[in-house]
Amino acid sequence: MRQYILRRVGYSLVSLFLLSLVIFLFVRVTGDPVSLLVEPGASPEDIENMRRQFGLDRPLWVQYWHFMASLATGDLGLSFYYRTPVLELYFQRLPNSLLLAAVAMGLSLLIGIPSGILAAVRVGGFWDSAGKIFALLGLSLPSFWVGLVLILFFSVYLGWLPSSGSGTTLHLLMPAFTLGWYFAAAHMRLTRSSMLEVLGSEYIKLARLKGLPEALVIGKHAFKNALIPVITLAGINLVVMINVAVVVETVFAWPGIGRLLYEGITFRDFPIVQGVVIIGGGMIVLVNLLVDIFYALIDPRIRLES
Amino acid sequence: MLSSQRDHDDPIVRGNAARATRRKLLSAAALGVLAIGAKPARAAPDGELRIGAHVSLAPTWFDPAETSGIITPFMMLYAMHDAMMKAMPGNPMAPCLAESWTMAPDGLSYAFTLRKGVRFHNGEVLTAEDVKFSLERYRGASSKALKERVAGVDIHDPHQLTIRLNQPWPDFLTFYASATGAGWIVPKKYVQQIGEDGFKKAPIGAGPYKFVSFTPGVELVCEAFEGYWRKAPAIKRLVFKVVPDEATRLAALQRGELDIAYSIRGELADELVRTPGLTIKPALGSAPFWLYFPEQWDPQSPWHDRRVRLATNLALDLKTINQALTLGYSRLTGSVFPENFEFYWQPPAPVYDPARARKLLAEAGHVRGFDAGDYYCDTSYANIGEVVLNNLREVGIRVKLRPLERAAFFKAYSEKKLKNIVQGASGAFGNCATRAEAFVAKGGTYAYGSYPDIDALFAEQAVQMDRAKREVILHRLQQLVHDKTIFAPIWQLAFISGVGPRVGQSGFGLIKGFVYTAPYEELTLKGKA
Amino acid sequence: MTVTTHPVVATAPTPPTAFWRLQGFPLIPALILLFIAFVAVFADVLAPYDPQIGSLARRFRPPAWQEGGSLAHLLGTDHVGRDVLSRLIFGARVSMIVGITAVLVAGGIGTLLGIVSGYLGGWADQVIMRLTDTWLALPALTFAIFLAAIVGPSELNIILILGLVYWTRYARVIRGEVLSLKQREFVRLAIVAGCSKRVIMWRHILPNVINSAVVLATLMLGVVIVTEASLSFLGVGVPPPKPAWGLMMADGKKGLMVGYWWLTVLPGICIMLMVLSANLLGDWLRVKLDPQLRQL
Repeated sequence: MRQYILRRVGYSLVSLFLLSLVIFLFVRVTGDPVSLLVEPGASPEDIENMRRQFGLDRPLWVQYWHFMASLATGDLGLSFYYRTPVLELYFQRLPNSLLLAAVAMGLSLLIGIPSGILAAVRVGGFWDSAGKIFALLGLSLPSFWVGLVLILFFSVYLGWLPSSGSGTTLHLLMPAFTLGWYFAAAHMRLTRSSMLEVLGSEYIKLARLKGLPEALVIGKHAFKNALIPVITLAGINLVVMINVAVVVETVFAWPGIGRLLYEGITFRDFPIVQGVVIIGGGMIVLVNLLVDIFYALIDPRIRLES
Repeated sequence: MLSSQRDHDDPIVRGNAARATRRKLLSAAALGVLAIGAKPARAAPDGELRIGAHVSLAPTWFDPAETSGIITPFMMLYAMHDAMMKAMPGNPMAPCLAESWTMAPDGLSYAFTLRKGVRFHNGEVLTAEDVKFSLERYRGASSKALKERVAGVDIHDPHQLTIRLNQPWPDFLTFYASATGAGWIVPKKYVQQIGEDGFKKAPIGAGPYKFVSFTPGVELVCEAFEGYWRKAPAIKRLVFKVVPDEATRLAALQRGELDIAYSIRGELADELVRTPGLTIKPALGSAPFWLYFPEQWDPQSPWHDRRVRLATNLALDLKTINQALTLGYSRLTGSVFPENFEFYWQPPAPVYDPARARKLLAEAGHVRGFDAGDYYCDTSYANIGEVVLNNLREVGIRVKLRPLERAAFFKAYSEKKLKNIVQGASGAFGNCATRAEAFVAKGGTYAYGSYPDIDALFAEQAVQMDRAKREVILHRLQQLVHDKTIFAPIWQLAFISGVGPRVGQSGFGLIKGFVYTAPYEELTLKGKA
Repeated sequence: MTVTTHPVVATAPTPPTAFWRLQGFPLIPALILLFIAFVAVFADVLAPYDPQIGSLARRFRPPAWQEGGSLAHLLGTDHVGRDVLSRLIFGARVSMIVGITAVLVAGGIGTLLGIVSGYLGGWADQVIMRLTDTWLALPALTFAIFLAAIVGPSELNIILILGLVYWTRYARVIRGEVLSLKQREFVRLAIVAGCSKRVIMWRHILPNVINSAVVLATLMLGVVIVTEASLSFLGVGVPPPKPAWGLMMADGKKGLMVGYWWLTVLPGICIMLMVLSANLLGDWLRVKLDPQLRQL
């Protein structure tokens, strides 16, 4: 087992190393940050000066070496645009992202789990279709559009909710719903299929045979067991949400990680892009690692297989 | 709120004053001292003005030494800092911290007299030392050019100084006062004490508003500095909120969450006009847009033929485009040089004549029009490209729109990788000569080729010390650019912003050529003093 | 579609009849998809105007039934004065082409790598799986924006980008399937019969993972189309003036604030119908063909 874990950790490190290389090169071949920080037509001296200031005049491998060396010490460098340490920017925004992701996840489960259960209990019936369609709608509509419609309706027309920004619970509702709805379909599907699986199991059949009321069978016994995979998925998606909320954060001017990354990309702020991608990638790799180890613990066959 | 930096240096104050920092308390104390000698001014500053910014604010913009040659930092500089002289209502070079100045007869030095009794936000008196320090510390755009030519600064007394030059430099004041941030004064003692990084986190200046807090990507909060020498601001707090999405910005303005929303374009501007209580505020910046024909020096290319380029010019229905996209507020100057720049020459007004365009194309051998390849533009201005495309197609020039994301676009443009038609624009500082250098003359960053006669004129003006003679040369140069149809100019873009019902004086358009609201001390809220 | 004709095949994991057992077949979604496909194919005949040409003089005309609308433009005109109906009709074609080919690209790469990785194992498996992990750790939209910046946006490039972004999902799922197929009797028999690795992968493994690939494809179609729209919102999608639904929505979203609802609601409905239909069909296929793919 220990060998298996060591190997998995090794793989994860390889993935992260590849990721650092990919993002380092990607961000550099796609645009010049200096040309974005000055107006077109600025003097060549100024451009050269800025390039030196950012360390972009050095050969690529030197830049990469520097990047990796400081990464090893936990330093992600100074943002070109903000001239602030990337780590500081990251941790300033992380609470917002976590908050948004957590609430969005809550709403997503609130939509996904009941509609999944309904769909499983009433296969082929009206509720099956209705729940499925509502959950799938979130997946079918681009979130920028959902967000804008919400702003129009709840902010401009009804005047109930603030259109954008952050700070209060009210600010949180619309972005969290927009983000959560998108993920609801995945949770609905998984709830439905794992409910179906559990409902078909001997254990439930036994409970029914014992004459337990149907509501109790479904609500307590089946649901409890069906929930485990859903919670696992939700955990993974929570990490994913932090990293994919770009569009929602842009529409609602929500100051999270997604927008930090997007700003980093538009300004070709190399340290921000590198930092956010590496941390985000690190989180995803870590979650995958944990899931793998967890499954290996409960199912020894996996260990042998690879 | 989420900001941690906002409160961390404040162990004492809580509750309502939780946002106050130690520094602010200090300056408040200093104010008390100051108030004794001050004239009994109007009522104390009151209320809060919320400005929705279209770009994320960068801390480098709080420091005049970092001015990078784009206009956006001045949005902040006008609030927190003050300059020796700066553009003000009715005067592009109004005396501010410098009361007066004179140039020596030989043109080798400029003597400045500073305004007395000007204080920084921390209460320290602004002196000639600070002026010298700020000039020497300056490291932003054109800093090299500036430093090569400045021989030194002599301080005579706290309010008298002389800047010596190595050689006569007619553009010195332009550079010192408007094209760079060198003339914006920072407190020497404070900067040295707190360090460069510290200064960006807690900037102190001599402007009408004091820095209170900044959360990157979210907001900047400033508070009125009642000791501002010109007059105390009328509004107590300024909050700059970052709202990246245009539609959201308008929604926030409609809801009263914002009082001023920058950059509202296209149909959103229509809505701005239509919403009761909101006012549209167009301002003309110095960013001309144009079509460039990078292949005009290649004899094989259809663009080599001037008639084809002229036909492109004539095909553009600029009036209609202007009306549709910027409600007619952009200026159709017919030039790629900004009309508010020094040495500007006004070309004849652009003409829309599709019939003649078709005729010219036929003469050039394209009776049935031709497939002109790609039309490159920056994604954020693809909307202009879309309508231009229609115009071009009407006369038979068939192009494919290729919008590139901004960073990629400028990379490709400057690396001379673009072909066929390029939709370019620039809002860089300088004068007509600096624009010509980048976009027209041989070796320019964005010049794909050049013409010998224009290069000769450019070289000639670069060594011409006499301003009048230089102007004549630069006018001739611009005329040649026009005659050769190197470009098809589109317009000088209007920057449209919206103002909410609570605002009295919005400050838009007070300073010519400045697209943001300023000067901040003039802004008022309705119903407040 | 599901079985191989090769004699060594023992039993396919799902019997061939499964596909045709129409119980619970989502008829309406299937009809909607068929209709969209029909419109896409015959766009040239159906569309009343050139979708890329307009005139500023006719901009923002509302749909015919609204005040100020006219029968000349049934669904109104957009910000450049182009006919919205024509753009929607041609947009069906763009969306279909972009969606289907991007899914094919993703499916092609992913299935191939999944089979190679799962069957060969060893260092090939290592390389492919580490690559997949790296890919998955990159946020999809970020990745897409970068690719768009490198190659420049065009319809073809958007297809390649979406394909390159989403192949990993296939690779993982297919690899898992292959790992379990490897243990099955008919594969072992093929090995004993002396079939080369390539033959086994192509003729024995591939036909048996096609089911999963198809199910994934229907589910991915929606993801791809919505991503394409989001890319347009961020300014790196299918370039204007191409009539793509996602682009129309992104362009029209400003108009929504002004009351020009048709600019974004109509393409929104089109996207919604298409994605919803594809998903419902996909869900049904998933249950019918491959109940094991539950985590998708």
